[in-house]
Amino acid sequence: MVFILGVNFPERNLVKKALQSFFGIGNDTSARLLARYHIHPTCKVGELANKQVLDLTAALSDMKIENDLRRKVLDDIKRLRETGTTRGRRHALGLPVRGQRTRTQIKTAIKLNRVDRRL
Amino acid sequence: MVSPFCWGCLTRLRPTPRTLLPSPSSVSRGPAFHTSAVFHAGLRPGSGRGATAVSKFRQPSNASMKKRKKPVEKSRPPPVGERKAIRKRIVLSNPNALEVEGLQELSEETMVDSRLHGTALALPVPMLDQLRAVQAFKPNQGWSIFRRPCTILRQETLQLGRFFDKVSGDGEHKGPFVKKKIISGPSKSGKSVLLLQAMAMGFIKKWVVFTIPEAQELVSATSSYAPLSEEQPHLYVQNEATAALLSRTVVANKAVLSKLRVSQDHPALSAVTPGMTLEGLANLGVQDPASAWTVFQALWGELTATAAAPGLEKNFTPRPPILVTVDGLGHWMTESKYRDAEFKLVHSHDLVLVRHFLRLLKPGGDQPALPNGGALLYATSTTMNPPSVYAFDLILKRAAARAAGFKFNDPRFPRAEAYSNIDPRVLEALTSQKSKHAQEKKLGHQVLGGVTHDEARGFMEYFARSGLLQETISDEWVSEKWTLAGGGVIGELERIGRRLRVAA
Repeated sequence: MVFILGVNFPERNLVKKALQSFFGIGNDTSARLLARYHIHPTCKVGELANKQVLDLTAALSDMKIENDLRRKVLDDIKRLRETGTTRGRRHALGLPVRGQRTRTQIKTAIKLNRVDRRL
Repeated sequence: MVSPFCWGCLTRLRPTPRTLLPSPSSVSRGPAFHTSAVFHAGLRPGSGRGATAVSKFRQPSNASMKKRKKPVEKSRPPPVGERKAIRKRIVLSNPNALEVEGLQELSEETMVDSRLHGTALALPVPMLDQLRAVQAFKPNQGWSIFRRPCTILRQETLQLGRFFDKVSGDGEHKGPFVKKKIISGPSKSGKSVLLLQAMAMGFIKKWVVFTIPEAQELVSATSSYAPLSEEQPHLYVQNEATAALLSRTVVANKAVLSKLRVSQDHPALSAVTPGMTLEGLANLGVQDPASAWTVFQALWGELTATAAAPGLEKNFTPRPPILVTVDGLGHWMTESKYRDAEFKLVHSHDLVLVRHFLRLLKPGGDQPALPNGGALLYATSTTMNPPSVYAFDLILKRAAARAAGFKFNDPRFPRAEAYSNIDPRVLEALTSQKSKHAQEKKLGHQVLGGVTHDEARGFMEYFARSGLLQETISDEWVSEKWTLAGGGVIGELERIGRRLRVAA
């Protein structure tokens, strides 16, 4: 078991998948992180050298991920709402934000668009 | 609601619900004189309401129409590595095949004997472990249908055998000659088996054999990599792959390496002692992959040394020739799958191991590539889905044209197409220049085609004598199969031999 940013990962997991388990890190960001520290894409967590684990943890702690990112997204929506923009209003109404038609096909917007959005 | 009755004529326009009308089935279910069916229908369980049963609106009446969920398989997957082991398994013997009588083995005498041209020669049994160690056998080759592994002595093999004999024989033409050759050819034409034959000859002649059995594995980003040093951040070292190469080399060449001793200074390696064998030196890299590249360089320096460093003369014995084989050269001619810190793809030629072996191939260097003689045989591969590299194709075409006698000024000499976006590094790495050393030839190119009729006949006779083929082998029959095999492509001939076994 290896700790990356305080999370314990089994050694057989791929490093790339381990990185992608953090909110805010997807395919591209994880691939770039791996390249920055010269880790090949099929590397398992157990194969990482100690220094590479520390490097990854340091890089991750500098990035805006997990709760920081969630808070930022919520703050952004709240700011839009408070300044009275159309986008903020549409969030509050639970309607599509980017000018989609609302006659049909807005179930996703109804489900997700809130001022206190679930993330 | 619209009434079901037309007020004009009071006729029924729509079918009324059945409950209102007597069911037709209850009125007459069969001929009036025959009552048993009606009687049994009343007795059937579930038909208590019988005639009054109403079919529900838009619901399937037939229970068998319902889709059943597939049962989920709950068996555990096989243990880690087992599937790969099965995929890569190499079977070299089939106890059901007949033992071929009078089969000769590959040896110093037979490998140059032109009387044996076109016959099957068995690989010596003690050598099989060495060949397995250097991964000379491929899983998709048909070794598993015969009693013991054999190869056909074809014309190209004989040429190779004569070269091996020239380099390490005792004749008057003996000398540290170097053969540099790219072997290409259509699919299944026996390129990898020719490399295997070369390795076998190398082991017979007590050369040191280095092999890269899958060139793709070095560039497909499946093993670890790191920048070589702070000074050269754009060069990358692959420690695990280098350690694997050292391990292959040590296991296969144990007999040769254990007799040679360290005769040069290696300030970078503190663990090296002056009297150490080269086997011990190489094992340092196997045990500690972090130093594998340094160890490999030291080992290469030792094997290409022509004289001892001052003070270490007593440890020096003349070094044997070296054979280097690479299978799947095309993969090295483009960008690798590795990425640098800026997320750009790393060119294959920036990986030090690839760079080392390609630099050997490049003619016209100040130092001879192999001062003690040897051969560099680099084969292309068609089975491993090689990338299409225009520059590499052009180089092969040019080599073929040069072999056909066209000069560079000739209009028929192949030129690069305009806007073809040619990779200058590939062109530069393989462009043929005149060698500065007398014993080193130009970079050669051999196109491996089909075997001749005689060789095909020898091959099919070997099938028959192994009991796999129950046919009378005549010239006409062989000629037919030779044509069916695309002009004697040996892999296709083997397939025909196998197929006939099933039909018989």
